[in-house]
Amino acid sequence: MASKFGLAGGIPERRVRPIWDAIDSRQFKNALKLLTSLLSKYPKSPYALALKALIHERMGKPDEALAVCLDAKDLLYKDDSSLMDDLTLSTLQIVFQRLDHLDLATSCYAHACGRFPNNLELMMGLFNCYVREYSFVKQQQTAIKMYKLAGEERFLLWAVCSIQLQVLCDKSGEKLLLLAEGLLKKHIASHSMHEPEALMVYISLLEQQSKYNDALEVLSGNLGSLLVIEVDKLRIQGRLLARARDYSAAVDVYKKVLELSPDDWECFLQYLGCLFEDDSMWKFFDDIDQIHPTKHIECKFSHLTEEMFDSRISSASELVQKLQRDTENSNLRGPHLAEIEIEKRKFLFGKKNDRELLKSLLQYFLKFGHLACYASDVEAFLQVLPPHKKAEFVGMLVKNSDSVSASATIELGQTTTILKVQELTGNIFELPLGEIEASAVKLAKLYCQNLPLSKDLDPQESMFGEELLSLISNMLVQLFWRTRHFGYLAEAIMVLELGLTIRGHVWQYKILLLHIYSYIGALPLAFERYKALDVKNILTETVSHHILHQMLESPMWVDLSNLLQDYLKFMDDHLKESADLTFLAYRHRNYSKVIEFVLFKERLQQSNQYEAARVEASLLQLKQNADSIEEEERVLENLKSGVQFVDLSKEMGSRTLRFNEDMQTRPWWTPCPEKNYLLGSFEEFSYCPKENVNKDREENVRRAIQRKSLVPRMIYLSIQCSATALKESVETNGSGGDVKTCGELKSLLEEYTKMLGSSFSDAVGMITEISQGARTSESLGSDLVDWLNFAVFWNAWSLSSQEHWHVLNLLFERLILDRIKSMGSSDMSSCYSDVQVLVQIITEPLGWHCLVIQACTRSSLPTGKKKKKAQHSDHLPSSPMTQAVKDSIHSLCSTVQEVSTWLTNQINNPEDAQVEKFLSTLKRNEDAGGPGHVLWVLESFIASSEESEVGSRIFEALKTWSKADSTRKTVTAQQKLLREFLQICESKRELLEKLKQQMTHV
Amino acid sequence: MTTIRRFSCNDLLRFTSVNLDHLTETFNMSFYMTYLARWPDYFHVAEGPGNRVMGYIMGKVEGQGESWHGHVTAVTVSPEYRRQQLAKKLMNLLEEISDKIDKAYFVDLFVRASNTPAIKMYEKLGYIIYRRVLRYYSGEEDGLDMRKALSRDVEKKSVIPLKRPITPDELEYD
Repeated sequence: MASKFGLAGGIPERRVRPIWDAIDSRQFKNALKLLTSLLSKYPKSPYALALKALIHERMGKPDEALAVCLDAKDLLYKDDSSLMDDLTLSTLQIVFQRLDHLDLATSCYAHACGRFPNNLELMMGLFNCYVREYSFVKQQQTAIKMYKLAGEERFLLWAVCSIQLQVLCDKSGEKLLLLAEGLLKKHIASHSMHEPEALMVYISLLEQQSKYNDALEVLSGNLGSLLVIEVDKLRIQGRLLARARDYSAAVDVYKKVLELSPDDWECFLQYLGCLFEDDSMWKFFDDIDQIHPTKHIECKFSHLTEEMFDSRISSASELVQKLQRDTENSNLRGPHLAEIEIEKRKFLFGKKNDRELLKSLLQYFLKFGHLACYASDVEAFLQVLPPHKKAEFVGMLVKNSDSVSASATIELGQTTTILKVQELTGNIFELPLGEIEASAVKLAKLYCQNLPLSKDLDPQESMFGEELLSLISNMLVQLFWRTRHFGYLAEAIMVLELGLTIRGHVWQYKILLLHIYSYIGALPLAFERYKALDVKNILTETVSHHILHQMLESPMWVDLSNLLQDYLKFMDDHLKESADLTFLAYRHRNYSKVIEFVLFKERLQQSNQYEAARVEASLLQLKQNADSIEEEERVLENLKSGVQFVDLSKEMGSRTLRFNEDMQTRPWWTPCPEKNYLLGSFEEFSYCPKENVNKDREENVRRAIQRKSLVPRMIYLSIQCSATALKESVETNGSGGDVKTCGELKSLLEEYTKMLGSSFSDAVGMITEISQGARTSESLGSDLVDWLNFAVFWNAWSLSSQEHWHVLNLLFERLILDRIKSMGSSDMSSCYSDVQVLVQIITEPLGWHCLVIQACTRSSLPTGKKKKKAQHSDHLPSSPMTQAVKDSIHSLCSTVQEVSTWLTNQINNPEDAQVEKFLSTLKRNEDAGGPGHVLWVLESFIASSEESEVGSRIFEALKTWSKADSTRKTVTAQQKLLREFLQICESKRELLEKLKQQMTHV
Repeated sequence: MTTIRRFSCNDLLRFTSVNLDHLTETFNMSFYMTYLARWPDYFHVAEGPGNRVMGYIMGKVEGQGESWHGHVTAVTVSPEYRRQQLAKKLMNLLEEISDKIDKAYFVDLFVRASNTPAIKMYEKLGYIIYRRVLRYYSGEEDGLDMRKALSRDVEKKSVIPLKRPITPDELEYD
C-alpha cells in the first residue's frame, strides 16, 4: 500500500506529520493553516480532506466536518487510483464515528473491500466497522472471508464469536452454533489449536449446545494442555461433568480442587451440589443477570432417601474434617464455614439438628467472630433459622463473648459482630427501647475505651471500632422511629459527624449521614456528604441511587442537573466507546472478553436508572424553563416535541430492565430509593431482607418511566391546544384546540390514567371528588403528583369547560393548603416529606398549568410577534373562558402565596433559635432514658482524653469537635433548601402577577 | 473462603464497597476494559460467600528483553476482609502467572512514598524499593518503584536498586 513507501494516503509523510502534531496538541488553527497549504498541492487527495474534516470536527464544527467527509467519500468512490488505503479510511472513520455516522464509514470500507478484495488490512477495517455497528452477521461473513484468505486461527475465532453473539443477542437459531462447531473441528483437524482463549471458546460453544461430554473429551485430549493452571482446568472439568449429570465423577474432580485450594468456597458448594445430585447451582450458570449477592442457594433433596442422604453427608463431613486438619495452621475460614454448610443441609433435609447448627455457628464465632466479615459469612445460614432460633443464637453469642477473656481487639471485634448479627436477624427490632438505649451507650463506651488502640495507626488505615459508630447510629435511628423523639435522630447525626471528625475517610458514615440529612430536609448537606464519596465512572451507575431520588424531588436544580449530566455522560460515553474496546479484545485474541463486553454494554443500555435519568433530565429542563413559554418551546423543540419519549413509553412495556444499583450499601430504613420506613409507623414494619428489593421494584420503576415519558409530549400538546383555544372559544364557542392535537392528547391521557391503575372516566371522577372534598387526597397515595399532572392536562384538553378549570383550581388549593395546614408551625426536620411533595406540585403540575395559562394569554394578546392575532384580540369580548383563565390565575396566585408565606415564616425563624432548639433535643435527662446519653458518653471522653493516650492525630481531631458547629451546618442547609424553594415560588408568583396584568387588558 | 477467579465486567457492578474506600481509585471504563481485553490473566477477583467481592488485583505484562515484566496496577481489599492476607494471595497469583505463563523477569509496582502501611506490606511480600520516581502522582507526590525478581532472573539483576531518583519522563512504560 501507499503508506509503505513513506507515503500517507499518497502524500509524503513529512508533510503530514506536522498536521497530526498540531491536532494532537490541540492547535487546530495551526493545523488548518498547514492543511490549507497541503490541499493546494493535493486538492484531490481524500486523505488531505479526511484530515480537514477531522480538524473541523475537533474545532466543534460538525456540519463543515460532515460536508468535507462526504467530499472525501465521493472522491474515494470516483478515484480509480490506488489511494484507497487504510490510513485514509480510518481517518474518515474516526470523523464519521464522532459525527454519529457509522453507516457512512462502513460504506467507505465496504466499497474499498469491493475494489481490493484481497486486502486483509481493509477487511480488518471493515470488520471493525461491523463491530461498531453490532452487525454480528456481517462480522461473521467478513471474518470468514479473512479466514479463507489468510487461514489464520484468529479470523476463524472472530467468526465463531460473531456467531455466538448472534445466538446470544439476536436470538438467532442455535443451528448456527453447529456451523461454528463444524468450522472449528475442521480447522483443528488440519491445523490443531494454539491459544488457550480459543480453546475456551470451543468449550463454551459446546456447552452452549449442551454437548458436555464432547467438551470433556476436548478438555482431556491434547488441547487440554493449553490450560496451564491445573485448578482452572479442574474447575471447568467439574462444571462440565456436573452439567452432564455425571455427578460421581464431578465429586472426585471437585475434591481434587479442594485439596489444591481448600478455601475455595464456590467449589465447595459445587462439590456438595454434585454429592447430592442437585443441579440448582447450574441453573443460573448461563444467566448473566447474576450480579447481586446470592444469599440463599436452593437445595433439593426430594430424590434422596434418608439413607442416601446420610451416607453422602458423612462423606462430606469426612472431607471437611480432612481439609480442616490439612489447614490447621492457617487461618482459612473455608473449611470451618463448610462445617456449618453441612449442618445447614442436614437441617433443611429435616434432621432436627438445630442445636448442632447453632453449635457450629458458635464454633465459627469463637474462631472468627472477631473478624469484620463474620456476619456476612453466616448471613445465609441465619436465614434458614426460624425467628426464635435466631434469637436463641444471639443469646448464645452474648453469653459466650462474656465468658471468653480475650485481647481487647478480639473482644471489640466480637462485640461488633454480635450487634451486626442482631441487625441481620432483625432481633434488634424486637428489643425493648430501654435495652436498645443501654446497648447503644455500652457501645459508645466501648468505642471510647478502644480509641487508644488506633493511636499509632496511619491515618489511611481503618481504625479499631469504626463500625461501632455506624451500629450506634442505626440504633438511634430505630429509637427515633419508635418514639418519634427527634433528639435520637439529632444524636445519630452527632455520633456520625464526630466519627468523621476523628477519621474523615469512613464512607459508611457518609452514606448514613446523607440519608439522615435527606430525611430532615438538610439536603444540601446530604449532597455534600454524597460528593465526598467521590462517586465517578461506573460508580455513578451503582451508587447514585443514594441521592438521586431525593434530588429529583428537590428545588436544588443546579446540583441535580450536574448529577444527571455526569451520569448520562458516563453512560453515553461508554455506550459509544464500548465497541472499540470489543475490537481491542478481538485483536488481542481474548475472545471470551468479546462476548463479555457486548453483553455488558447491553446490560448498561438496559439499566433502569439510565432510562429514568434520560427522561428526568428532560423534565428538569422543562421545569427550569416553565416560567417562560418561549424558553419552554425552545426546550420542547430540542426534545422533538416529546415524540421520542412517547415511543419510549410504548416500548417500555416489553423492554428488559436491568437493576445494576448496589443496594447493599443502603441503610436499613431505606432499602431502596422508593422506600423509607421512617415515613411510616413502627407497627407497619416487617423485617425485609434486602435481597428481594429489586424484584418488587421492577414493575413500579417501569410504570414510573412509562408515565413520566408521556409528560413532555403532553406539555407540548397542551400548549398547542391552549394556543388557539381562547381565540376559538370567542369565535366559535367551540371546545378549543384543533381536532388532531386534542385527539392525541386524549389518547395520551388515557394511557396515562391506565398507568395510574385507573380508567379515564374514573380518573376524572376521582379528581373531581377530591376537589369537592368528597374524598381525601390520601386516596391518591404516593402518585399524588401524577394525578395532579393528569388533572392539568385533562383541563388543557377541555379548556372550554369552565367547570374543569374550577375543579383544577380547587384541586391545587386543597392539596397545597391541606399540606400547609398540617405542617403548621412544625419545623423542617419533621415535615420535610410534605415540603418535598409541595416542591413537586409547584414545579411540575402547577408549572405545567402556568404554561397552559401563558399559552392562552399569549394567544389573546397584541404582541409584536403576533400582529395578526393582535388584530383579533383587540376586539375580543370577554368570554366565559377568559373569565376562567382569570379566575385560575387569581386562585393560583393566592395558593402560591400561601406556600411563600409558610416558607418565609420558616426562613425568618432566627438561625440561633433553630440551633438552640436542635441542641435542646440532645439534652439528656440524667435520671431517665431518652436521647443524649450516647453523645454524653462520647463528649465526656473527649473532654478527658489525653494526647499520650490516643495519640496526637486523634487528639488534635477531637479538639476540633463542636456539636454546635454541626448543628449550625444542618440548620443552614435546611434554610438553604427553603430559600431555593421560596425563590421558585416567588418566580411563579411574579409570573402569575404578570399574567394577571396582561389579562386585565382582555 | 475465597474463590479467586478472572475478573469480569459484571464485577464492576459489584465492587462498590471495595471502591468506595478512599484509597481505591475508580478508573474510567476504557481503563478497566483495556486491561480486560489485553491482559485478562492479570485481572482477578476474590469472592467470598454470597458472591461478595472481597478484593481484586489488576495488572499487565510488558517490556522487552530483560525488562519483560509483570506489573501490578492496582490491588485492593475491602475493609471487611482485611487482615486475612488476601492481598498476599492475589499478589502471589499475579507473580505466578508472570513467572510460569509469561516467563517474565520480575514484577513491579508503584506506591505513594507516603503510604507506609502498603510499602511495609510489599516488603513483607519480598518487594524491594528499586527506585524513587519524583512527583509521580499528579506531579505532587513521589512514587516508589518496587520490584521482586522472578525465577528467570537468576542473578536477581532486575532488583539492584538504582542510586538516583528518576523523573516520570524517564520511565520506560506508562
